[in-house]
Amino acid sequence: MPISTILCIDDEALGLEIRKAVLERAGYQVLTAVDGLTGLSLFRGNAIDGVVLDYYMPEMNGGAVAEAMRRERPEIPIMLLSAYINLPTEVVQLADVTVLKGEGPRELLEKLRAMLHSGSTAGGPGTGGTA
Amino acid sequence: MNPPEFNRTLRQLVTLPILLLVLMAGFLVWQIAAATVAQRALDHSDEVTAQLQELQNLFIDEETGLRGFQLTGDPVMLDPWKAAAGPIQSHFAMLRRMLAGDTAQSRALDDLEIRYNQWLGFANAVLHQDAASLNAAGMNQRGKAMMDDIRAATASMVRHEENLRAARSQHARWLQRRELVSLLVSAAVVGLFMGLFTRHHVHAVSASYQRRIAEITDRSNELVESQQWFKTTLESIGDAVIACDQRGAVSFMNAVAEKLTGWPSAQARGKPLAKVFHIINEQTRQACENPVDKVRRLKRVVGLANHTVLVGRDGREYVIDDSAAPIMSGAGKMIGVVLVFRDVTEERQVQTALVASEKLAVAGRLAASIAHEIHNPLDSVANLHFLLADENDPAKREEYLRLAQQELGRTMQISRTMLSLYREPRAPIQIDLRELIEGVLLLVDRRLQHQGIGLETRIAGDLSVEGFPAELRQVFTNLIMNAVEAAGAKGKLRITMERAESAEMHGAGAAIEIADSGPGIPPEAVKRLFQPFFTTKGADGTGLGLWVSMGIVQKHGGSISVVSSNDPELPGACIRVFLPARTMAQQAGEPAA
Repeated sequence: MPISTILCIDDEALGLEIRKAVLERAGYQVLTAVDGLTGLSLFRGNAIDGVVLDYYMPEMNGGAVAEAMRRERPEIPIMLLSAYINLPTEVVQLADVTVLKGEGPRELLEKLRAMLHSGSTAGGPGTGGTA
Repeated sequence: MNPPEFNRTLRQLVTLPILLLVLMAGFLVWQIAAATVAQRALDHSDEVTAQLQELQNLFIDEETGLRGFQLTGDPVMLDPWKAAAGPIQSHFAMLRRMLAGDTAQSRALDDLEIRYNQWLGFANAVLHQDAASLNAAGMNQRGKAMMDDIRAATASMVRHEENLRAARSQHARWLQRRELVSLLVSAAVVGLFMGLFTRHHVHAVSASYQRRIAEITDRSNELVESQQWFKTTLESIGDAVIACDQRGAVSFMNAVAEKLTGWPSAQARGKPLAKVFHIINEQTRQACENPVDKVRRLKRVVGLANHTVLVGRDGREYVIDDSAAPIMSGAGKMIGVVLVFRDVTEERQVQTALVASEKLAVAGRLAASIAHEIHNPLDSVANLHFLLADENDPAKREEYLRLAQQELGRTMQISRTMLSLYREPRAPIQIDLRELIEGVLLLVDRRLQHQGIGLETRIAGDLSVEGFPAELRQVFTNLIMNAVEAAGAKGKLRITMERAESAEMHGAGAAIEIADSGPGIPPEAVKRLFQPFFTTKGADGTGLGLWVSMGIVQKHGGSISVVSSNDPELPGACIRVFLPARTMAQQAGEPAA
């Protein structure tokens, strides 16, 4: 099974690096971006299997990023990650899954795996991870 | 008819009859003068006739004397002759003067005198003859003829004068008739005219008087109606009303005032206001200044101080809101004072609840912000814990532990900041305003970054005020968040704080201005900005933030207002807060509004 590539976008650089390590430990290949615009350019230039997107970011928030991604490649599943409980409904509808920061890495990995499986291009994490 | 017209009519009613009577008197004087002249002419004729008759008698005396002498030759017989000679001359002189204006009679008098002188010549000639020839028949005949002529001339003059007198007498009678007729006619005309004139004017005055009476009656009815109208209105309004006379004694109370004071109107009437309307300060329990005394002192509308409590006759207490106004007479004299007040106890409770509700909303927003701030590092710690569980490389474990420690430290720092926000002292303390505002900015910093807002601060360093830090932090969080929301993505914000010198109303203190680059506040919204439940944010706002902020600032003795920003880069709203260096706030947690 090919290794799934996950695009991870969050303005919290440290949190992003740690999340990358978690995802890599789980066998995913991870691309990271600390803002929406960088994330969108990675999204356009790479074969991406899924997106883990923070909502609350300067300049371009997760909602705007998800909307642009959906316009370009609606088949790519998006997981919206946020510290806020009450996200705007239209933003929640753009995402396949929403996960609350603080739910923990096991929950995150479980939901990510489920999201990738249910998607058309879904693929599970490869067995030969880098971590 | 107005008073000047009335006076003019009165003057006319007095002066015109006097004028007419004077004219009539003048006319009568003229008539009487004419009659007098006619009477004098009659008297003149009588005198002339009398003079002529006396002259005639004197002629007879002379002739008789002469005859006696002729018959007797006795000189004694000549005595009448001698006695008459002098008076005849004086009578001639008198008659000449009297007949100077009458040519015909003067000529007749001249003729008479000539005849007399001729006779006198004849008589003297007789006297100088001898005694024998004294009675000669020819002589006597001649003398008699001459004397007959004299008598005839005198008689002619007398007749002439009598004719003249008859004409004059007729003229005088005509004048008398004319006088009588004139008197009657003029009296009738003047009487009629005065009657008509007086009647006309009296009618006018009377009509005017009737109209005035009707007007006064109408006015009086209107006044009664209006009084009834006002009384009913005052009785039926929801506010309590007490009216006092100029001495401060109660003259009117409506039903609501009766209920709140506990005094029936009939018993309260005439009593001093202070006895019926007993007000004290809610906190100090000291008696407040009698509003009537205050109005009499200031002669203008006065409002009650905040926290005024009315103590009813039965001891029940009502928090009231009131105002007192002078009742001025048309001449500008104060004739009473009217007091309008209402029970705001419930309103006060609602306000307290609203303030608490806004505090809850603020706390809710803060909690969400805290959750966000804490969730990020907690998420990282959870992830690190996950990684540590399966990590065998000691260097990596070390790195993960260090990172976890760092993220936990961040969480605790946030938690400490939040806690310090809600430690509120019971009395006002000295607050470093710079520190306070920077603390608020720290809280909203992430929001500013996310919106990409350019923040400029011009904050003086050594400004401190007395107050309650948590409440002031609530105010500035509210104002800065409003500005951030108004500025929108990539907007601009400027916070200025400077020393404010003492002005007319305030002592020295600090002035803080928060200006944004948003769309500004529409003028119609500015008026309502500080009212409760007014929001420009739709469903996202409670409409209580600025109202509560204003209450807090006012409690501190400061002011909050919307000023115009003249910086083209910050065309939006600019809110100015003034805080005095020494606060008036006494106690934490009291209702702000």
